[in-house]
Amino acid sequence: MSKLLRRALKISIVPAILLIAGKFIGILCTSIIYNLNFQISNDLNGLFSVQIYFPDASTTLFVNSISNLVMVVFLALPLAYFIIKTTLYHTIANNPRTIVKMTRFNMLKWITAKDTSFLTMFIWCAFLWIASGVTIAHTLQGSTYSWVGIVAGSLALIASLFTIKTFEIETDNIYPREHKYY
Amino acid sequence: MPNQKAQKFKNFVGHILEPFALGVLALLFIIPTITVMNLSPITKKLKDLNVLGVNSQSSVSVTLVGGKHDVFTEENLNKNDNTSDYSTKLNKRAADSYSKPILEIKNNTEQVQTVSFYGQTLNQTQSNIRIIVDDKTYKIQDDRGQTYPQEVTVLPSSKVIVFLAIENLTGIQFSEEFDLQVKVVENL
Repeated sequence: MSKLLRRALKISIVPAILLIAGKFIGILCTSIIYNLNFQISNDLNGLFSVQIYFPDASTTLFVNSISNLVMVVFLALPLAYFIIKTTLYHTIANNPRTIVKMTRFNMLKWITAKDTSFLTMFIWCAFLWIASGVTIAHTLQGSTYSWVGIVAGSLALIASLFTIKTFEIETDNIYPREHKYY
Repeated sequence: MPNQKAQKFKNFVGHILEPFALGVLALLFIIPTITVMNLSPITKKLKDLNVLGVNSQSSVSVTLVGGKHDVFTEENLNKNDNTSDYSTKLNKRAADSYSKPILEIKNNTEQVQTVSFYGQTLNQTQSNIRIIVDDKTYKIQDDRGQTYPQEVTVLPSSKVIVFLAIENLTGIQFSEEFDLQVKVVENL
């Protein structure tokens, strides 16, 4: 088995769990905080039979919106951490001012090559696309607030741009651009 | 030599496992996606259960049959507590009789339930409008615009299909709205 595939499998487990956990925790916490009644029931309609029911449409809309937002945030936060770390890791090599700043904040030890690979960011970004895709689909169906759909779409777009940037940095390491020789 | 053999065996097993690993990787993306879509909450009237876990609420469900028809279009069903409001658009049509299954009424209780129907068109029309339940015809509105409230009984744990039938002796050259109020009559 190739190393790439093994690494991809290893990296995919955590975001896959977080995707489901984010949605479930979002529903659970919203229901507990706002003291909402819900029912878990079995309906043999889809691939999975477990369904969560709320008594009225406005409650369903509210809970679905918040749980979608929590799900997106659960994936966006670690990805933001990877993006910041990767950006600092690559800037520190070329910019002495960044090294000075990092030393001042006593964060030099944190800047390591760990979690800065393109594969990690790509997989996390792919899961963020899935979460945003589900949220946008719900927004178009009218089962999620439109602002939640806009936030999810924007986060996915920003994350994609940074992932492409990381890809460029990694390809630059393998095939340096001509101007970097001089 | 044994090390080389072990390495070869490892490589061989690795090659066999590779397609499965690809499948697992794909599943790691597909399963959470389906789970998340399935976890999305939906609206449903929650059952009122008493302490013994027995449903004490009278429960008669009214659902739209749906489907396509040239004359009956834009069907809609709005549900309230004990009443359901069905509406449809009756399109322009030639002189003839037309019918379509519109509602499914299900009695989930162990008692006979009575369901009342009251319907009318917004404009006066020269059509006879009826509902048909279990091959019995109930007049809802005659060709002079007179309306007739009707009641239908639904046996315990059974369901009936309500057909909407319309008959006009002359061609109708305009569309009209038809509303039907379906109400579960409280048993005393």
